[in-house]
Amino acid sequence: MCDSCHCTETTKSDSEKKIIEVHESLFAANNEKALANKKLFAAAGAVVINMISSPGAGKTTLLEQTIDHLAGTLSIGVIEGDIETERDADRIRAKGVPAVQITTGGACHLDAGLIHTGMHKLMAQGNKFDIIFIENVGNLVCPASFYLGEDLRMVLLSVPEGSDKPAKYPGAFKTSDLYAITKTDLLPYFDFSMEEARKEALQLNPELQILELAAPKGTGLSAWIDTLQNLINGKN
Amino acid sequence: MHEFSLAQNLLGQLLELAAQHQARKIIRVEVQLGESSNIVADSFQFGFDVLSKENEICRSAKLVLQPTAGNDLILAQVEME
Repeated sequence: MCDSCHCTETTKSDSEKKIIEVHESLFAANNEKALANKKLFAAAGAVVINMISSPGAGKTTLLEQTIDHLAGTLSIGVIEGDIETERDADRIRAKGVPAVQITTGGACHLDAGLIHTGMHKLMAQGNKFDIIFIENVGNLVCPASFYLGEDLRMVLLSVPEGSDKPAKYPGAFKTSDLYAITKTDLLPYFDFSMEEARKEALQLNPELQILELAAPKGTGLSAWIDTLQNLINGKN
Repeated sequence: MHEFSLAQNLLGQLLELAAQHQARKIIRVEVQLGESSNIVADSFQFGFDVLSKENEICRSAKLVLQPTAGNDLILAQVEME
């Protein structure tokens, strides 16, 4: 109301203020793309595993050993995520398996959009896959926040990293289905408590399936291969 | 590490909402931050404060973070004029 004519006009801020209820996830765009990825994975006939760990936990080495064991029986594809270089994809290609390298140029995780592009590139190298591994950027924190459309998420923890890591970095352990403790052949040389590494992860996520692996020595590989086979059988 | 990119996404969404509702200014933004989201509230707030200065519509917007259960980050409510 103004003082001159006693009109009922209110101030601009009162009349034009609006409160909009949104209630939308800031991950919504990523999650929509992840659902689109799921369709691409289904079109390729593939079970998809998202592998998360710190750098150097043994993701690529486990993949190399897996390829050696499954060569000729299953069709495998790999999408590699790193900040720089083609080195991991080159290691996979050297085994005769189609691989796409995504270099994020600094980003600390793969998101569903990057996987969508990577998946189209992988499908240019082969139409059908039994299993596709996504090797995420080496980082135990950020990749856990981004759903890529995967069927199974696995977290790897190597013995040299220490058995206190599940409690310190809970996100990846809470959101994973499978937990591989790697480099168990180094147990005699490190102060690593297998009990702590298992117990604290299970406290975070009682559903976690746990494997103990020393891939280059072949230790635990049959249980790992059985897990993959069950996953593929469950999908078909 | 990705708090800045999430703050960038949020600002993009706010600009879209402002255009949709023909608003000139975003006043207050309420975001629910899940306790298991792996997102550091201070870093997200810092990212928002820095990036919001880049455009006139969001320049004086106040970000209010409400802690919640779960692992999501949800844009709950926006006040604009």
